[in-house]
Amino acid sequence: MPETHSDDPVQSRSMSGALLISAFLLMLTVAWSLYDEFYGLRPWRSYQREFANVYAKYLRKKMPEQRDREKVIRSSAEYQQLKQIVDNAEEAAKPRLREIDRESAYLDKRLAAIQDTFTTARGKVTALIYEAELAPLDSASRKSRLEEVDKAKRETYALELPTADARVEKLKWNFTQIDSEFTTLKARKAALVAERGDVLKAAKDAREKRDAYFQEKMEGLTADQLGGLLRAAEGLDVSIHQVNVNPTNAGLNNFGSGGLVDRCQSCHMGTDSKFVPLAMTLTKKDLGLERSKDAPFTSHPEPELLKIHDPEKFGCSPCHGGNGRAIDSVEKGHGRYEHWLWPLHYAENYQAGCQTCHAADMVTEHAPVLNHGKELFRSRGCIGCHKFEGFDDQPERLLATRQQILQIEKQKKEYEIEIPRLNRQADQAPDNETAQKLNGQATNLAVRISGMDAKVEQLDRKSRSLLREDKKVGPDLKEVRMKIRKEWIPYWLGHTHEFRPTTKMPQFRLEPDQIQAIAAFIWQSGVAGPGLTKQQPGNAAHGKDLLQTRGCLACHSIGEGSNVLGGTFAANLSRVGEKDNYDYLVRWVHNPRERTRPYCPFEKRDLGPEDYAKHGLPFLFDLDHSKCPNDGHPLQVQQPTVMPNLRLSIEDARDVAGYLITLKHSDANYDAASFMDDPKLKGAGLKLVKFYGCAGCHEISGLEDESRIGTELTTEGSKPIERLDFARLTEDAQRGVLPDEKKAPRGSWYDQKGFFEQKLKNPAVYDKEKYRPNPLDRLKMPKPNVTDTDITALVTFLLGSVDQQLPREYYYKPADARRDIQEGWWIVTKYNCVGCHQVRIGQQSVLQTLPQYQGDNKIGLPPVLTSEGARVDPAWLQRFLANPALSTTDTNRNGVRSYLQVRMPTFSLSDEEIQKLVRFFAAASSQESPYVPPKLDTLTDAERTLARQLFTSPAAPCLKCHATGNPAHDKTATAPNFLLARNRLKPAWTNRWILDPARIAPGTAMPSGLFRREGERWIFNGPLPAVAKSFTGDYSDLLVRYMFQLTPEEQRMLLSRTPAAAGSK
Amino acid sequence: MHQLWEIASQPDNVPIVALLFLMPFYIWYAFRQAVQTDKLILQLETNPALAKTHHRKVFPWKAGWDREVHVWPYLMRIEFLVAIIVTVILMIWSITLNAPLEEPANPNLTMNPAKAPWYFLGLQEMLVYFDPWIAGVVMPTLIIGGLMVIPYIDANPLGNGYYTYRQRRFAIWTFLFGFIFLWVLMIVIGTFIRGPGWMWFWPSQTWDHNRLEFAVNRNLDQIFGIDGSWLAHVLPQSWRGGAAIWARTIFGIFPLGVYAVLAAFFVHWLCVRTEFSRKIYQRMSLVQIVTLQIFMVTMLSLPVKILLRLLFRIKYIWVTPWFSV
Repeated sequence: MPETHSDDPVQSRSMSGALLISAFLLMLTVAWSLYDEFYGLRPWRSYQREFANVYAKYLRKKMPEQRDREKVIRSSAEYQQLKQIVDNAEEAAKPRLREIDRESAYLDKRLAAIQDTFTTARGKVTALIYEAELAPLDSASRKSRLEEVDKAKRETYALELPTADARVEKLKWNFTQIDSEFTTLKARKAALVAERGDVLKAAKDAREKRDAYFQEKMEGLTADQLGGLLRAAEGLDVSIHQVNVNPTNAGLNNFGSGGLVDRCQSCHMGTDSKFVPLAMTLTKKDLGLERSKDAPFTSHPEPELLKIHDPEKFGCSPCHGGNGRAIDSVEKGHGRYEHWLWPLHYAENYQAGCQTCHAADMVTEHAPVLNHGKELFRSRGCIGCHKFEGFDDQPERLLATRQQILQIEKQKKEYEIEIPRLNRQADQAPDNETAQKLNGQATNLAVRISGMDAKVEQLDRKSRSLLREDKKVGPDLKEVRMKIRKEWIPYWLGHTHEFRPTTKMPQFRLEPDQIQAIAAFIWQSGVAGPGLTKQQPGNAAHGKDLLQTRGCLACHSIGEGSNVLGGTFAANLSRVGEKDNYDYLVRWVHNPRERTRPYCPFEKRDLGPEDYAKHGLPFLFDLDHSKCPNDGHPLQVQQPTVMPNLRLSIEDARDVAGYLITLKHSDANYDAASFMDDPKLKGAGLKLVKFYGCAGCHEISGLEDESRIGTELTTEGSKPIERLDFARLTEDAQRGVLPDEKKAPRGSWYDQKGFFEQKLKNPAVYDKEKYRPNPLDRLKMPKPNVTDTDITALVTFLLGSVDQQLPREYYYKPADARRDIQEGWWIVTKYNCVGCHQVRIGQQSVLQTLPQYQGDNKIGLPPVLTSEGARVDPAWLQRFLANPALSTTDTNRNGVRSYLQVRMPTFSLSDEEIQKLVRFFAAASSQESPYVPPKLDTLTDAERTLARQLFTSPAAPCLKCHATGNPAHDKTATAPNFLLARNRLKPAWTNRWILDPARIAPGTAMPSGLFRREGERWIFNGPLPAVAKSFTGDYSDLLVRYMFQLTPEEQRMLLSRTPAAAGSK
Repeated sequence: MHQLWEIASQPDNVPIVALLFLMPFYIWYAFRQAVQTDKLILQLETNPALAKTHHRKVFPWKAGWDREVHVWPYLMRIEFLVAIIVTVILMIWSITLNAPLEEPANPNLTMNPAKAPWYFLGLQEMLVYFDPWIAGVVMPTLIIGGLMVIPYIDANPLGNGYYTYRQRRFAIWTFLFGFIFLWVLMIVIGTFIRGPGWMWFWPSQTWDHNRLEFAVNRNLDQIFGIDGSWLAHVLPQSWRGGAAIWARTIFGIFPLGVYAVLAAFFVHWLCVRTEFSRKIYQRMSLVQIVTLQIFMVTMLSLPVKILLRLLFRIKYIWVTPWFSV
């Protein structure tokens, strides 16, 4: 030991104090780290305990309530009666049951006694047989071994078996005897078990009936079921609930496999059907936590969705966003921090989650906000500038088809040159073989050319289809000289939303000189003729009447301010008189698809009479004459508008136009615009029109092939935030300061949602504080005409439009009938079928909301199409959609419901669109395709007589309402002609319809209760004629068969007999 | 100030913020100790009774103290205490701050600014001033090599095992300059000053990703207009294509040579400033002196280059096809 000196600090200073304190600190830190490990980092533990606690309390409170409810049901007379049946059946089965049970018990005892000996004996014998089998056939050893087997079989065993009368018999049996006894006992036992089931069957059925009744009457879960939940809650094993959203065959780690781990239900226990079944709703109030801000225990607000998307398969975050893996804090789990790319969707945008997988749907069930957003994206012309996969891409496909045709034609030309060359070579060939080979090549080329012709023909067909399908959001600007008042155009460009507050056209930010240039270009590039037919003035009063009754208001609206009436799909017509030319308007109303000149996509110009004259042809072009006289390829012969042809007579068209032309402000006055004819402005205008992408929504001369100018938005929602240019607003966004200097309610808006919202509110916002002396350097997106609700819908749509992150099988891309529904909606919404018709259960058409179709006037509404696929023969529907007048001559009417004022217009759909619609309706009504019309039994004479009498009976005067084709009678008709039924309707649907029409189309004029159920058949619910006595069949079936075999003569005969209808003669 | 707080509050930057406070504290603490020891040494040297016993190789000590103490328990107990305190600090640190993980790497979108871990930020900052070969390979190698040769070129027998300033002036200043001034300062610059685009942001400026800066950096030969036109006359025909390259390569050697000579004289002047250091200098062999000069000249080139770059916008002094300085 070294000598210690008290004054040496190294040795003399005591460190015990410091050591004590730091050791104490160390212990504290260890304790802290343990706490952090078990609670701090695992908040879900406390959540789960709290849930189990409050939920158990809730269940305990709920159980007696439910038990009381059960008691009420159990004591009801019906239940008691059912219970009595059960008791009786059980009582009846008892004596036999007792016998069976007794015998079974005896058999069991005897089997148990024989079992051991049996297995011993069998083991010995089978082992010896195996040995014998090993020896070669016919050998001596085999023989001797077989003898041993016999010996073993003969060997006897001492047995003590119980007998039926409870004695014990002592036996000495050999193997064969034992075996046979054992088998017999087993067989008897099986027979008894089967018989037991038979005896109990009546009781079992009765019990099922009783339980079904109980289930039906019982509201909510039974006390026993609640008890089960209570046990689950009380015995809760605090643990992470994890769902693996992985592709099949994914590796254990998720690297590169697109897998996803979801643990949301570790805290959100109320959405776990293990604890809260889907049939039950759990609110914060139920749990007594209505004041708590932090109680993630409520059940899912839309259990329907969970039924379709099983949380055990889908998890939560694939739909809702957020970091499904994180469980160490609410903020992390919800992904609301800088480094998680997919934060939880806010309440107003939650349907963005639907879009992730349902991107191919135009209409997604349960997602109205998303549907609205998609509809806006299309109808407001966003799609004109922004490509989006799945949305209308006819221009692109048209272009591709044309390229293909040109390529094939080029190839064809090369082959045509090659053939004579090969033939010449063959002529000069040194030997026969070479000559044959070359000639063969020439022939092959010729055949190949014919194949190319077939291909071109098909491509032409396809482009004809595409030309029909290609619709623009805005009007055709080639017609502008025919249609529009010259001075109005510059005014409109500068005051778009002021002139028409509901317009779809966005307001561009244009300088006065830009407006002049654009207007001048548009004006000068319009086609100049051939001129319009001069029209007689129309009757405005009649025109107004037509506008209101023909169904125009399903798409268009009239009136201004708070008086707006009608749909929002198409333009508000209130100030049409200020801008439109009357003669053009008449032509438009008469047939909106009519063009002044056809457009040839190959020559890239509008053809005139001179082109036709060159080939000695009349200047005639329509859907049946759509071949280019110069190159033979299809022409665009229609205006690219979705507005259909209402098949009005020219007089009616004049009246409607005459009314529309009166719609104007009295003080309407526009400055003269002499610059419109300044040729110098045209070049500048063209540049601007290209720059602002006007051709995305309008057809413009020379710009038919312009591509979309905007960013593609298919996966815009997953664009990294760094790629969204907040420009000078970056810092404000991060600090939660809105562009108007107000504080953002949710703080930072530096995310995709914030960017989209502000951009849609004011697309120029990110130019703030920027130095942009040249207007063309500014952000060019125009200000869309949208409300805050619209913006929310559009943002929801964009937020959900993200890169594929989930396994492929999670995406909704069905290959069966559901695909037909998916495809059909694109067309149904494209032409606004839902403006007039109810297509989906629960949906309301625009017409249904109009004042002129309320109350008794509902009869004037177009038919409900919810069961259309089940109602009509698809082949007929195809014909009808192509020509709703069902006639080529008499077109100023409805083909089926000629009595309706509102008109089913002609849409000139392409064949493909018609096919898709037909398949859509079939799939929507769960109809299998193809449809083969069933063969109906021919009517016997007696049946026909009966049917005739029923058809004309006062209890069901069918022809009183149904049209017959007799003009005098049809004046009062309110239902379709029976003669159409044979080709149009499906018998099975017709049968269901006449039995209970109100069930298929609530509010229909067709009376329900025409038949009553009597035993196994439907009987006519009225005085039966004498001939009915011998009829034993089904009355509804009889009438359907009669209807489908009706001839015009028969109908005329019936009409003369119908009491009420005769009066109208 | 918001920006400064944002940088300082990042979990990534805890060590560097701590460094800002700990470094001055320990320098002050070490100097206090050194001054005390120096006083003691003076006392020992002026006291004729003790001067005799005060051998150069013995630690300064006071009367009544032991000249030597045992490792156990006197050193061990201190180390034990320190181990406990460090453990406590590390545990608290790891409990309160989680690993600063970010989103999955996206090869199509690199972060801006993309920064190395804090301890490598000095190297990254060096990339501004030298070409990657020099800053990324040569310099780090020289730094490690330099640290390794210190014991072999240290001819000073005094000042081992206790704090002293008087006996270790040269070493201490070299350390303060090389480590604190150059290395730590560059880390601080890399952390607090370099923002998006590795642009220079003063602490009060916001890191604006859209910031644009106009700066033209030129090589020294460009300033002098060296394009090899005169060299082309001298070179054989087949070499003429590379005349500009050769001219630049040759030109660069001169300013670099001038610098090396000046710097070497400066280092020499430092070494012979006081009588004490002259004595030590005389103890050194030629190899030791040359080694010392190489490393010192190289080290001094760093601040020179930084100044040339920041003040005169000179990119490289010596441009060769293989590397640039």
